[in-house]
Amino acid sequence: MRRYLLLILIFAAGCAQRQAYFVVLPNADGSSGAITVSDGQNSVLLDKPYAASEEKRGAVTATTSDSQQVQQIFGSALAAQPILPSHFRLYFFRDTETLTPESVVEYKKVFEDIKRRSVYQVEVIGYTDTLGTQQHNQELSLKRADAIRDRLVHDGLSATSISVAGRGELDSAVPTAAQVSEPRNRRVEITVR
Amino acid sequence: MPGLGNTIKYLGAICAILATSVASAQSPAVAQIKTVSGQVFIQRGANRVAAKVGDPLFEKDTIDTGADGSIGVTFVDNTVMSAGPNSEVALDQYRFDSNNFNGSMLTDLNKGTISMISGDIAKSSPDAMKVKTPSAILGVRGTHFAVQVPE
Repeated sequence: MRRYLLLILIFAAGCAQRQAYFVVLPNADGSSGAITVSDGQNSVLLDKPYAASEEKRGAVTATTSDSQQVQQIFGSALAAQPILPSHFRLYFFRDTETLTPESVVEYKKVFEDIKRRSVYQVEVIGYTDTLGTQQHNQELSLKRADAIRDRLVHDGLSATSISVAGRGELDSAVPTAAQVSEPRNRRVEITVR
Repeated sequence: MPGLGNTIKYLGAICAILATSVASAQSPAVAQIKTVSGQVFIQRGANRVAAKVGDPLFEKDTIDTGADGSIGVTFVDNTVMSAGPNSEVALDQYRFDSNNFNGSMLTDLNKGTISMISGDIAKSSPDAMKVKTPSAILGVRGTHFAVQVPE
């Protein structure tokens, strides 16, 4: 009889073991996003820094965590985190692939950023304002991206690490009507990751 | 022999077409390995290769870290993921269209620990990015979170 009791106790303890643990971490600026955790029956919304959830016996419940606990469980994973992607915006004179003087300065920051990374990939996407035909702008946006790619390669980056695309008038930084000259839309966006 | 010159040109063209079709038949890389420490392997189909900084990862790859292993990767949608020791992480599904930033991503954490900072896929729709553990599922609205599946 005692043996059975012991078995039941072991079984219950085994079942109560944590099957999964989830925690929201603060962003660099202290804010946080949100996750939902579901066991198929119930779901828990976690939308604050260190809001946590654990799953036991197949059921998820809300709990909380703190930086010390997170470090204990996730320290190695967090230490392996890559440097986050960086974004740069370069602007052009109207209907040209010529950078504005401010953007020539900004361009140099790309190299500062890459120096921090052991390996890198660079994405260059060109855009235009809405002045001119869509076809012309599609071509112009690609020319801008190509010009920046060539310049990056000339200044020492590996061509195989760079991808380019031209988006023409799409995805304006500042939405405008058709045929509007808008300096903030005449741009190339660079992502370094 | 102008005929021979032409033949060589045609052969060249055929080779170029073949090379292109072979390249496009292979699925595109979905991530790049940025950090590795200790023993980390990538299971790709029947192949098991040691993870190296700079190497690409593909959909369906499984990351396997040893007792002293950890790894950090960055996906093409700018999602950043890292895994601690004794972890098994399968890149079950990864679709991303860099033209409109739409995509979907399903990552299986079979055991161990991961930390993720979501990128463009999570912004495309509330259901686009998910992490599965053996018995629960996590939907990502953004941005930084961590998951543990104890052994």
